[in-house]
Amino acid sequence: MNEAASMDNRLQAAEPRPGESLWAKAWRKFLQDKLGMGAFAVALIYLLIAVAVWLGLMGADWNALGDHSLAPMSAEHWMGTNRNGQDVYQRAIYSTKTAFEVGLSVAIMSTIIGAALGAVSGYFSGGWLDEIILWLKGTLDSIPFYLFVAAVAFAMCSHPYAMHVAMIATFWTTTARIVRGEVIKLKSFEFVEAARAIGLPQSLIIFRHILPNTSHILLVQATIVFVSAIKSEVILSFLGLGVQDGVSWGLMIAESTQEVTVGVFNNFIAASAMLFVLVMAFNLFSDALQDALDPKKVQ
Amino acid sequence: MSLPLLEVSKLSVEFSTEAGVVRALDEVSFVIRPGETLGLVGESGCGKSVTSLAILGLIPSPPGRVVGGQILFNGRDLLSLAESELRAIRGKEIAMIFQEPMTALNPVFTIATQMGDVLRRHQGLSRKQARAAAIDWLGKVGIPSPGQRINDYPHQLSGGMRQRVMIAMALSCEPKLIVADEPTTALDVTIQAQVLEEIVKLSEEFRTAMLLITHDLGVVAETCNRACVMYCGKIVEQSPIAALFAQPQHPYTSGLLGSVPRIRSDRLERLPTIEGMVPDLLHLPQGCRFGDRCDKAQDRCVQSQPTLREIGDERQVSCFYPNSHD
Repeated sequence: MNEAASMDNRLQAAEPRPGESLWAKAWRKFLQDKLGMGAFAVALIYLLIAVAVWLGLMGADWNALGDHSLAPMSAEHWMGTNRNGQDVYQRAIYSTKTAFEVGLSVAIMSTIIGAALGAVSGYFSGGWLDEIILWLKGTLDSIPFYLFVAAVAFAMCSHPYAMHVAMIATFWTTTARIVRGEVIKLKSFEFVEAARAIGLPQSLIIFRHILPNTSHILLVQATIVFVSAIKSEVILSFLGLGVQDGVSWGLMIAESTQEVTVGVFNNFIAASAMLFVLVMAFNLFSDALQDALDPKKVQ
Repeated sequence: MSLPLLEVSKLSVEFSTEAGVVRALDEVSFVIRPGETLGLVGESGCGKSVTSLAILGLIPSPPGRVVGGQILFNGRDLLSLAESELRAIRGKEIAMIFQEPMTALNPVFTIATQMGDVLRRHQGLSRKQARAAAIDWLGKVGIPSPGQRINDYPHQLSGGMRQRVMIAMALSCEPKLIVADEPTTALDVTIQAQVLEEIVKLSEEFRTAMLLITHDLGVVAETCNRACVMYCGKIVEQSPIAALFAQPQHPYTSGLLGSVPRIRSDRLERLPTIEGMVPDLLHLPQGCRFGDRCDKAQDRCVQSQPTLREIGDERQVSCFYPNSHD
């Protein structure tokens, strides 16, 4: 393809069509990003696995104790078995559900909290409400994360959702900081003054008129939080602060510390590979999303 | 003569800055009668926009503060109303048209959503009715195929079209008063003329009064019944439009009119300008604020400030030596 033709194609891609929303435009831009699409496909496969596990279609035997411990790979046990004779493949698959549970709940909750508090503190920047929110943010940010999780787990008497609560309580701060900055920028735009001039109340101006203008940031930020939540879950589970009942890649890696000394790497490889591919795919996906949603990047 | 719709009297607004308190409006008074178009003319920073924001109660506070005066709208003092009462007036009874159509529409919503919001809020229409009404209004302001355009996002419209949408939005609740803050400044000249024509036509059709804020004397001449000339936060001259252009009384007004280029002039000549600079609002002279730049200034002008006084036939001027004086 010559230069002019490809330029032409790109121009066509960026030019809005009648009645096309910004989302449709971003989607069209995203479709052209091959790496991003590949990463998106991988992420979707993970999602399907998680849903299948949730429905009991896959990984249902993750807890079943087999006859052989540390069995090698075979047709019956695709990734062999662990010390207790449990199927490594089943456990790795089941862990996807665990990871998604944590990732989704933390991403959704911390995005909602971060967006709401960030928008309010940005809109009233310099006021007392902003001061309170900033203080809260600063306080939570200053506590070392793992110490905080341990403290929350202790306070909640090792409740299975202690880890979720601790992550939501700390992850919203980044989202709030980004949204606050964006809202401070947006509130000086004339459309905000116009919204005031047509007599809208402040709550409607903040949440219906300003906040939707940050939705591209929120979406990207949510995918970033999703990945960090999964990574944190694995680390916490490895340390014994995370998943209590059920299984997680972190628990599998913790188990493997004893297995690798006798030269069995199945558990370690299965869990690490699943985690690595998921994190990689999501990072690439959120990069592509950022490019597609950035209105300033004219391709 | 009918009762005034809007009566602004001795309105003063101050802004506190790090360097000190700036008085952006100093005892500004004017009236607008129903169906009348009043022009507010002056150069940048003279307080035109602050006046419009004060009327709608939108002065950013802090740092701004209304320190005195009254704004009577239909007999009610807008300055004494609670925020919720003001919200019911904004958009419904007093609408505003903004200067920058590029940023005055929310970029993430379609025209249908934004116009629908206003109509549902103030007219109590249903979603469907609001959409139909919005399409109807877009047609009235001269947007071609409004049924399709209503689904567009602001970035898909040209500047002129966006300003038409703003006008449609402002008029759609049939307000009694429209405050138009430099409605055509951001548009190119041909579109300016069309948009102005549209505003004037519709405001006449619906008997809407209008406060037109502009620095463009041509716009004032074409659209207004009366005009106030502002300088440094004060009104220096108020007059019916024909008289203002025929016999400007205040030296500042004559200066402004003199510095408009004339196309029909035969010879190439230097454009007359008003010498000097606008005084710093923090260090205002004791006397007439225009004194420094006025070629008629006498000792009296430096020592004391002239006040706005009647010089007959609905004309007011704040000058010791108005042009008709000599």
